[in-house]
Amino acid sequence: MNEHHYAKYDETIYDQKLDNGLLVQVLPKRNFHKTYAILTVDFGSIDRTFIPVNGQELITVPDGVAHFLEHKMFEKIDHDAFDLFGELGADSNAFTSFTQTSYLFSTTQHVHESLDVLLDFVEQPYFSSQTVQKEKGIIGQEIKMYDDDPNWRLYFGMLGNLYPHDPMHIDIAGTVESIDQITADTLYSTYDSFYQPANMNLFIVGNVDPAETMEWIADNQKQKHFDQVTIPEVQFELNDETGQDVIPFRTLEMDVTRPKVMVGVRGLEPISAGQAGLKYRLGVELLLDILFDDTVDNYLRLYNNGIIDDSFSYNFEMQRGFHFAYFSSDTDHIERFADEIIGILESAQQQIEAAASQFNNIKRAVLGRMIALLDSPEAIANRYAGKLFGATNLLDEITVLESITIEDLYVIAREFIQSQGISVYQIVPRHSN
Amino acid sequence: MYFQLTDGVELHIIKTSQFKSNQIVVNFGTPQTSANTTARSLLGDLLETSTHKYPTQTALARQLSQLYGADVGTGVGRIGTLHSVRLKARFINDRYSYDGLLDNVIDLIHEMLFNPLIDNESFDEPTFNLQRANLRSAIQSLDDDKQYYAETQLRKLYFDDDSIMQIPSFGRLADLDQLNAENLVPVYRQMITSDRINIVVLGDVDERHVVDRFKEFNFTPRPVADHDMMYHQDARPDVTQKDEIQAINQSKLNLAYQLPVYFNEPDYYAAVVMNGILGGTPLSKLFVNVREKESLAYYASSRYHSFSGMLSIQTGIQNTNYERARVLIGQQVEAVKAGEFTAELLREVKDSLINQFQASLDVAGNIAERQLISTLLDRPADDVVQKIEDVTATQVMHVASLLELQAIYYLNGDLTK
Repeated sequence: MNEHHYAKYDETIYDQKLDNGLLVQVLPKRNFHKTYAILTVDFGSIDRTFIPVNGQELITVPDGVAHFLEHKMFEKIDHDAFDLFGELGADSNAFTSFTQTSYLFSTTQHVHESLDVLLDFVEQPYFSSQTVQKEKGIIGQEIKMYDDDPNWRLYFGMLGNLYPHDPMHIDIAGTVESIDQITADTLYSTYDSFYQPANMNLFIVGNVDPAETMEWIADNQKQKHFDQVTIPEVQFELNDETGQDVIPFRTLEMDVTRPKVMVGVRGLEPISAGQAGLKYRLGVELLLDILFDDTVDNYLRLYNNGIIDDSFSYNFEMQRGFHFAYFSSDTDHIERFADEIIGILESAQQQIEAAASQFNNIKRAVLGRMIALLDSPEAIANRYAGKLFGATNLLDEITVLESITIEDLYVIAREFIQSQGISVYQIVPRHSN
Repeated sequence: MYFQLTDGVELHIIKTSQFKSNQIVVNFGTPQTSANTTARSLLGDLLETSTHKYPTQTALARQLSQLYGADVGTGVGRIGTLHSVRLKARFINDRYSYDGLLDNVIDLIHEMLFNPLIDNESFDEPTFNLQRANLRSAIQSLDDDKQYYAETQLRKLYFDDDSIMQIPSFGRLADLDQLNAENLVPVYRQMITSDRINIVVLGDVDERHVVDRFKEFNFTPRPVADHDMMYHQDARPDVTQKDEIQAINQSKLNLAYQLPVYFNEPDYYAAVVMNGILGGTPLSKLFVNVREKESLAYYASSRYHSFSGMLSIQTGIQNTNYERARVLIGQQVEAVKAGEFTAELLREVKDSLINQFQASLDVAGNIAERQLISTLLDRPADDVVQKIEDVTATQVMHVASLLELQAIYYLNGDLTK
C-alpha cells in the first residue's frame, strides 16, 4: 500500500494495485459520518467498436449498450443488488458517461458488507432475455424524458454539430431504436471484454481505516477467479481529425419560452496523456475564465447589454479521445450572442492581454473553490479520471493548477481555439399554428 | 454557542473542525403576504448584485475572487408560511488561505446588507431595470421544465385560491410591473429593521471574535410576533382534476393528498417513515411497483411537505399507460393504509432514513439549516435517529389513514398535437 501525504491540506491518500489489476484508492476522513465508494469501469457510450475477448472480428454494438449494462448489472438471478444495499441501509446508484461507467454507494453503517456487495454485483453478471426485454421500457421512458428537456437538446444539438459522424452526438442512453437491438448476448460479450479488474478502479472516501479497508477488498478479490485476458483496444477514431466535418450552424424549433443559444469549440489538436493532459484541461478552464467569467469586462458589457443574463454558463469537457468547450445562455439576442462570443474567442490573444491583471485573482478563486471541494467525499472520488490524467487526484490537481502561468494561456489559446472547430446551435420557440 | 445580538436577532456559532470551509447564513424571515413576496425576491437579487463600495457586478465578483472564490449570494425561500430572504456565504478557512479571510467575508456581508446601491431614496435605476427584466425571464423560463411545471399546476389545484401558498417564494410576473426603484427601498428598510434575523456561523472559527464582529452590525431591536409557521387548510370533499395536453414526449401524472401531520408534531416521524414506504425512497412501493415491476415510469415518487400538511406523488409516464398508472398509484396508497408492508421493508426504510440523516451531517449547509429551523420553531433539535427507530407499523398505518386525495393533475404528452 502506498501512502501519499499532502501536508498543506491535511489529507493522505493510500493506494494499491491488487494482483488482479484492480486499482484501489482510499482517502480517510475520520471526522465524517459517511463513507462513499465508487467503482469505475473504463468503458462508456462511445466505446462501441471493438474486437471482443472471445472473438476475432471487429464488431459494433448498438448505441446505448454501456448504459444498458449499467442498468442491468443490479439485477441477479434471485435478487437485486439494489435491495442488498437497502438491507444494509446504504444508498446506491450508478451512472454512465461517454467513456466511463460508475457504480457507487454511500453509507454510514456496514461499510465492509457494502463494499462486498458493490464488488460482487459488478463482478458477477447475470443477464436473461426476459429481463433485458423489460428494461427497454424503463430506458425508453428515460430517453423520452430527456427529449423534453431543452437544455439537454441544446447540449446534444451542439455535439451533433461538433461531432456529426462520431458517437458523442448520440444520447448516452442510445435511442429507442438502438436499444431495441440489444440482447443478453450483446451484454455478455461487452461485459466480458471490458469489466475486468485491470480495467477498473475503486475510490473510497470517508470514515474508514485504510489498511483494514485494503484487506477487506483484497480478501474479496482473492475469492474470485478472473481469466487473464487482454482488454480490447477500443477502435475509437474520429471520423475526421481535421474537423472539416464540423457543422457550423443549426437551429431547432421547440416548445420553449425564450430562445437558447450555444457556441461550441471543438479542440482539434491531440492532447498529451497523463499529467500534461490535466495541465491542459486546467489551463483551458483558466483561459475560459479570463475571457468570460464575471470578474472580467467582457462579462459586464454583455450582461448590461442584455445579451447574457444569469443563465449564462460555459464549460470545458475533456474525455478520452476528444475535448470541447461550450458557452450558452437564454437570450432574446441569439445572433449577437454568437457574434460576441466568437469575436472574443477569435481575439483571445488580445483578450488575455487586456485581462492580464485579473489572472492571479482568477487563479486564486479557482484554487479556493478546489480546496472547498475537499469537504465533499463525492467530489473527491468522482473527479478522479483514472488513466486519462495519469492517475492524478484532486489534491494533485491543486498542485498542477498552482504551476500554470499566464504565458501558458497564450499557448493554450492558440492551440485550442481554431475557427474550423467553432459552431453555433440554437433553439427558438415554435410558432403556434 | 448561542448569542442574542438584540431582540429578534439571534446568532448561533457551530464550532467544528470537520470542514476546510466555513459557512455563514443570515436569514431574514417575515410572514409571507401577497404583497411582499415578489418585492422581496427582487430585493434579494439587487442585494447580491452591487453595493456602494462595489457598484458593479464585476467589482463585487472581483472582491469575491480576492477572497479565494468565496461564494456569497442571496436566495429566497419559504419555511412554511414564513418568507425568507437568505444571504449565504461559503469560503475556505483562514488556515488554507490567509489570516483575516473570515473577517473580510464578514466585512463584505456587512457591505451587502447595509450599503446597497441606494441614492436619493432610490435603487440605482439601470441595475434595478436589468434585475427586474432578468427575474421576469427567469420566472418565464421555469415553464420549460415540464416536471417543475406539472408540480406547479398541482399546487395550484391543491391550495385554496386565496392562499399565500399559491404564490411561489420567488414571486409572480404580474407583480413585477408595479415594482420600481423607489418603492423597493421601503421594502429593503422594512426587511433590515423589522424581519426576524437568524445568523448561523459554522466552521473552525474563534467564537468570541465572531460574536464581536456581528455586534458591530448594530442591528436594531425588533419585536418577534407569535406567528404560526405551519400552513393549514380544510380538506375538500371532492377531488379536483385538471388535464392538459402539450406536444411533449413524456406525460406527467401528479397527485396531491392532504396529510394533516406537521413538522412540530409527535406523529411527524411516523409520517416521514410512511412517506419512505410509499414513495420517498428507492425501496418504496411506488418505485418498486410502478417503476420497476411494471416498467410504467421513469420516475415515480412521493414527497411529504411537513410545513403545509400535504403529500404529493409525481410520475413520468407514457400517455397510453395513464389508466394503469392511475390504478397502480391508488393501490399503493391503499396498501400502506392497510398495513400491507413487510417488517423488513419498514426496517430498511428506517435504516435508509437514518443513513440519509447521518450523511447530511457531513454537509455544512445541512447542519446550518437544521440549526436555523430549530431556532425558528423554538424547539431543540430532536434525537432524529432514536425518533425514527421508535416508529411502529401501527403508527405508519395511522398516519397513512389520514391521507385524503384532493387534487390530480395530468399533463398529457401527445406529439401529434
